[in-house]
Amino acid sequence: MAAQKTGGSLDWSPMPPTVFAPCRSKCPAHVDVPGYITAIAEGRFTDALEIVLERNPLPSVCGRICLRPCEEGCRRCLLDEPVAIAMLKRAAADFGAYQHPKPRALRKESVAVVGSGPAGLTVAHDLAAQGLRVTIIEAKPKLGGMLRYGIPEYRLPGKALDRDISHILSLGVEVRTGVKVGADVTLARLGEEHDAVVVTAGLQSSRVLEIPGAHLPRVLAALPFLEAAACGERTGIGKRVVVVGGGNVAMDVARTARRLGAAQVDVVCLESAEEMPASRQEVEEARLEGVGVHCSWGPREILGEEDVSALDVVRCTSVFDEDRRFSPVFDESETRRFEADTVIFATGQGADIGDLGIETTPRGGAVIDPQTMKTSIEGVYAAGDVVTGPTKVIDAIAEGHRVAACVIRDLTGDTALLDGLDQESDTLGEVPESMRYKVVTRRRVQMERLEFYEAVGTFDEIEAGYTEYEAAREAQRCLGCTTGARLVREKCASCLTCVRVCPHNAPNVKYRGYLIFDAEACHACGACASQCPAHAINIEGHSEEEMDRRVETVLAGSAGDATMQFACGCTPLLPELGLSDPRTLTVTCLLRVSEATVLRALQHGAGRVVFTGCVEVNCRYPYARELVARREADIRALLRQMGMDDALIVPEATDEDEGVHLR
Amino acid sequence: MIVVRAKPLEEVFDMVVAHERVLLVGCNTCAAVSLAGGEMEVATLVEALRLMAARRGRAIEFTGSVLQRQCEPEFLEELGDEGYDAVLSLGCGAGVALLSDTTKVPVYPALDTMFIGAAKGFASWQAECSACGQCVLGRTAGICPITRCAKGIMNGPCGGVKDGRCELGDRDCAWVLIYERLEAQGRLGEFGRFGEAKDHSVRSKCDVWDMSDKGGEPK
Repeated sequence: MAAQKTGGSLDWSPMPPTVFAPCRSKCPAHVDVPGYITAIAEGRFTDALEIVLERNPLPSVCGRICLRPCEEGCRRCLLDEPVAIAMLKRAAADFGAYQHPKPRALRKESVAVVGSGPAGLTVAHDLAAQGLRVTIIEAKPKLGGMLRYGIPEYRLPGKALDRDISHILSLGVEVRTGVKVGADVTLARLGEEHDAVVVTAGLQSSRVLEIPGAHLPRVLAALPFLEAAACGERTGIGKRVVVVGGGNVAMDVARTARRLGAAQVDVVCLESAEEMPASRQEVEEARLEGVGVHCSWGPREILGEEDVSALDVVRCTSVFDEDRRFSPVFDESETRRFEADTVIFATGQGADIGDLGIETTPRGGAVIDPQTMKTSIEGVYAAGDVVTGPTKVIDAIAEGHRVAACVIRDLTGDTALLDGLDQESDTLGEVPESMRYKVVTRRRVQMERLEFYEAVGTFDEIEAGYTEYEAAREAQRCLGCTTGARLVREKCASCLTCVRVCPHNAPNVKYRGYLIFDAEACHACGACASQCPAHAINIEGHSEEEMDRRVETVLAGSAGDATMQFACGCTPLLPELGLSDPRTLTVTCLLRVSEATVLRALQHGAGRVVFTGCVEVNCRYPYARELVARREADIRALLRQMGMDDALIVPEATDEDEGVHLR
Repeated sequence: MIVVRAKPLEEVFDMVVAHERVLLVGCNTCAAVSLAGGEMEVATLVEALRLMAARRGRAIEFTGSVLQRQCEPEFLEELGDEGYDAVLSLGCGAGVALLSDTTKVPVYPALDTMFIGAAKGFASWQAECSACGQCVLGRTAGICPITRCAKGIMNGPCGGVKDGRCELGDRDCAWVLIYERLEAQGRLGEFGRFGEAKDHSVRSKCDVWDMSDKGGEPK
């Protein structure tokens, strides 16, 4: 359909695409969170997975263990609680089908990636997706790095990790496991065999504090302990375990020790409860599993002759000096003794790349030029924790993207990926006061999980993950930030219908008579777009053409008498209609189904159309019911004129509360 | 703005039933604002006519397009009517007329042109003007008796008014409204002035309004 263009005198875009929702801005990899959550809300898990994979090659992993900076940014924080973004990402990975795209035309350049943690896997993914030949060199027998050997099964099961890895390998990545660079092969040799080498070796060595008694046999370091547990070793832990350290690794160690049979596990750390680097959730879960967490204590001495008998600690009054530098101060008068037969240090990790011959920092990490990501050796790049020190998985992924983009630029001259990473973006502001009282409060959908008394007896995964329905319900809590109305100014007829149907006054003409959309007030309900006579309003991820494509897919193979059911995403159970050949298409809101879409469905295989509405007593979109009822009446009037009175069926709304929140 | 509304589907279909390739043309000005002739309504009508034709066993092709404004010759240059044997206009009467002037094939109206009106809210317009050519709004406090009085009388109200409502039952009495507003403006004295009968020849004498060489005087 061709529309005439008018000479728009005001070149003003209401919501430029570089405005990110806060969730997306806060994510180091800038995953399009609202995009995939919208897809999940409509039950399109494969679409959701594809959107995640554009920026994060490890959705199954991050869906479980990401520390979710995105959720801190969620604009729902001001209203009730953030959308369960990570859990929804997991649902995308659980229910979506990983598409295995053939890489683009294979290029001749080859790259070796040393290490296969999150950074290395990301690099391999990005390079292979661009057609480069990639070989991962991994010292351990299996891929995954800390994801496999450092994070316990109960948080990240191996098979969840394998889902992501097999997707990455399907791009044509070669793997050499059991090869330690520096010992089995030199970096120089790799440099000769490949056009570039990327070192993403992570932090492989654990530090044990050199305090008296640290040499005793039952004094362990965190990483070897976790690795043994990850490899299935289930023996060799005492009954009383003390873990030294206040980070997430310490929590993993403590909870693993509980699962290995330790009756009493205590964590002691220098930091106060507020300063502890471990996430609050991790600490809370450890406590619920019976782990004692003791803050503001510094280890002084491990007691014991042949075996460990206790750990003596002394009060730590402050950890950091005025400049936030690590400089603990102790009060020697206050001491405490923890009985123990095993002491495990989780007091930091270091890089183990001394054999590689690249320049390192005093702490042993790789030195790089932050602009080029290159190390001191030409053609050798480095990224991830080996450069930055300990960070989050999602940080490592972001660094992986960057180094891959640098390698591609240097080897092929293509700067598109790097330009994409460097694109500046703004962040959408918070929910305006005027909108808050109109958004229906709704608590997060709780996920089925093992009770803590069950969890401590097994390495089984604690969280069961959402069901498809629960995921869709949770996704419907999303405010759709930045996915809402975008005005196509050349098509706008200035009828102001959008102004009249928007529940939040997002469109307005306060700016010198020009129609503008306030992105902060938009809830992405689509009321405006559904009524716009000029088709001048776009909603992200929704268009008439897209609806037609989806209707066509749903109706494929029908013999002309199918029952085409358009269902609001809030509908828990579709009604038993008893009609022939039922086909269902779930939509964010029935308002997304236009009259033309219905009439097209009736021409292309549907004998009748069912509008299954929202069951919520309080629809999340104010005005939507009214507008949907209007549309139903309009469609009915048209059909009546064609003698097709029975072709539109609207089942009685049941108004049942299906009670998923109460579980 | 000119307010239009869709004709019944049956009436539209009967107009084009003898044709084979019909071009539907929307108008992105008044007709779109009236929620009757924009791209969305064109798309809906295209699908409705296709479905209708299929049910009636008629092989008619329908295609949709939209012009910025059907009453401007320049905008009509992009009509793209080659290969069609009929045009269905989703514009006002002026649009249908200029389209008919421009294309060789028959042009049919898909809409009825109702009045010149003002928006009251979502999908609702008030008839305000009948284009009589002799505006009296200055002394009727901005309420048009020709348009809003069912009889269009110049001296009202008539005897059919009851409790401020017209005897038709579908509207307020225009003359009561005029009275109330004049009163509110302290102009009640003007209410009793005799309203001269309209000279209906004014409109018939004004076939073309050309300001280009007459300095604002009618030809």
